[in-house]
Amino acid sequence: MQLRNDHFDRDFTLTELLAGMSRERLARSLDTLLGPDFRLLTARSEVLLGTVEPLSVACRCELRLDIEPLGFLEAPVTMQPQAQACASLIELTMKSAARYLMASHLHENNVNENYKNLLLQHEALLKSELQYKQLSEELESRVQAQVKIIKQAERQLYQAEKMASVGQLAAGVAHEINNPIGFIRSNLGTAKAYVQNFSQLAPLIKSGAVDQLAAVWNEGDMDFVLEDFSSLLNESISGADRVARIVADLKGFSNIDHTEEEVISISDCITSVCNVAASRIPAGVHLVMQLEQTPPLRCRPGHLNQVFLNLLLNALQAVGEQGEIRIRTESITGVILVHVIDTGIGITEENMLRIFDPFFTTHDVGHGTGLGLTVCRDIVQAHGGSIVVESKKNEGSHFTVYLPLDRNT
Amino acid sequence: MADYDEEASRLTIKLVYYGPAMSGKTTNLMRLHDLLNPQLKGEIMTLETQNDRTLFFDLLPLGFRTPSGLLVKFKLFTVPGQVAHDATRKAVLSRADGAVFVADSQRSQGLNNSEAFQNLADNVGRVGLDFDTLPLVIQFNKRDLLDIYSEDELRERWAKMPWPLLFAVALTGDGVQETLRALMAQVYPVLDRQYGLQARHGMGREEFAAAIVGA
Ligand SMILES: Nc1nc2c(ncn2[C@@H]2O[C@H](COP(=O)(O)OP(=O)(O)OP(=O)(O)O)[C@@H](O)[C@H]2O)c(=O)[nH]1
Ligand SMILES: Nc1ncnc2c1ncn2[C@@H]1O[C@H](COP(=O)(O)OP(=O)(O)O)[C@@H](O)[C@H]1O
Ligand SMILES: [Mg+2]
Ligand SMILES: [Mg+2]
Repeated sequence: MQLRNDHFDRDFTLTELLAGMSRERLARSLDTLLGPDFRLLTARSEVLLGTVEPLSVACRCELRLDIEPLGFLEAPVTMQPQAQACASLIELTMKSAARYLMASHLHENNVNENYKNLLLQHEALLKSELQYKQLSEELESRVQAQVKIIKQAERQLYQAEKMASVGQLAAGVAHEINNPIGFIRSNLGTAKAYVQNFSQLAPLIKSGAVDQLAAVWNEGDMDFVLEDFSSLLNESISGADRVARIVADLKGFSNIDHTEEEVISISDCITSVCNVAASRIPAGVHLVMQLEQTPPLRCRPGHLNQVFLNLLLNALQAVGEQGEIRIRTESITGVILVHVIDTGIGITEENMLRIFDPFFTTHDVGHGTGLGLTVCRDIVQAHGGSIVVESKKNEGSHFTVYLPLDRNT
Repeated sequence: MADYDEEASRLTIKLVYYGPAMSGKTTNLMRLHDLLNPQLKGEIMTLETQNDRTLFFDLLPLGFRTPSGLLVKFKLFTVPGQVAHDATRKAVLSRADGAVFVADSQRSQGLNNSEAFQNLADNVGRVGLDFDTLPLVIQFNKRDLLDIYSEDELRERWAKMPWPLLFAVALTGDGVQETLRALMAQVYPVLDRQYGLQARHGMGREEFAAAIVGA
């Protein structure tokens, strides 16, 4: 029985179908309609209502649901028409009870099913939430690993950019040094010959043959040799000084990552940067220096040299073979300003927004990494300063570096 | 999974008309009610409709008594075809002894048919029946309409399927009895094996179908 109760479409019994109504009321109605002698029986002839004893002369009406009698109504034969009508009424209530039972059962079934589905969906949601959480954690760590790799690569490039601009100078510097070394070498050759000339005079001087000495002196044009010897030496000394100066200027770029803070003059810094870069300036390009005597600044000169060199190299790239680059320093209260002004190609408004971005470059591969200005800005900011640009396409650019004398203000 | 009540001497067999919405399941049942004359025939019980669309089910009870005194009771159900009523469809389908898939022959309904058929296959599994062994016949209804798949087309398409294919105009009753007869033929061997219809109750295959659908 239990098992069969699980289905909405099971076969119902009369007892089940009458369970929803008052038996007493039904009995009273039947009593009124049929008199006291009636019996309501199940299909298995159990008495549900009415007299317990079988009736002597009775008629029997089927109580059908669908095609099947589920019970019987018995009454005296004399009451047959009334009994038939009563049975018909009971059948109607049975039918509506069956409808109600089926519908409510089905409804309950659907509600349960929906609930089960909701639970399943809920479970699935919880599971997918967990998966997403795990995924996002995993993503997080993957992103961090990637960021680390990228940062490392960037740092390497950044480093490379610093070295690159210095490297660009190497060729020029070699030329600058070779030139004086060349003429010092040839001067020393001449000087060696002159010394030989003089050494020929030595025995004459020792023997005291003054007349002969004078003759040889004149013959050898020793007046000229003496004069030339002295100018050779002077020229060589100034050449050596020049080499010494270049080497000193280069020192400003050596060890760029480990420079200690020093108190120096910015104008001097710029002079040495320009000296080092001088060989890269084409003949058609005017370099105009307007350097004020700037107050001493506590800074890392190796780093700032880097900034000025980058600005100068950019300006040189912008002007090409013909134009003017003006470098001006000035000091206003508490700040030193360095202007690098060129008459080059200028910068479009669109690019203006991006020139400080890492890797932004308009130069061909091999001619720019797009890190120059990034490095500049980082260094200047580390000194508490800033860089400002004004530019007009086809007219030129004006970079201004602001460096505060006291970083805390 | 017919219901055999030994005490009441009653075998209850459940047949389900399945298919997409508006394909004519309810109409099939109404015509059967009009056309059939078995020993026992009940009223159609229609549980809730909304604008002619079945919300729960329709039920037509039919039956006969075998010479042995067994009451063989058929409960013919329709399911609601609308997609939303899947829970009801499953409840009605559960414990079915056989099914008619009522398809709509109109070309515009091709997709609905195949979705409903897939739904039948899925639900058969969900209610614990076996789709490979469930007695099933396919009825293509609404043959009276104009823009329909031709019989040849349909026969070709279903040729590889194991199920009998029937054509009907439920509106007029054409093919409705044949469909039920075809299903009875599928259902008989299963019941005979289980309840000894022939051996214990003297009901052969022909008599069995004839008792409901007529000769
Ligand atoms: N032309 C035509 N119309 C039919 C035929 N059979 C049914 N119809 C019509 O199709 C519509 C739907 O029929 P129903 O029997 O209610 O369809 P159903 O399959 O029970 O639909 P649901 O209860 O929503 O699942 C009704 O307007 C019917 O008159 C047929 O053979 N030909
Ligand atoms: N003086 C300048 N005149 C015109 N454009 C400039 C100047 N300085 C920088 N730029 C623009 O800014 C870009 C970024 O410069 P930078 O960061 O130094 O990278 P790179 O020189 O490697 O391209 C350059 O590619 C160029 O387009
Ligand atoms: Mg650059
Ligand atoms: Mg319907």
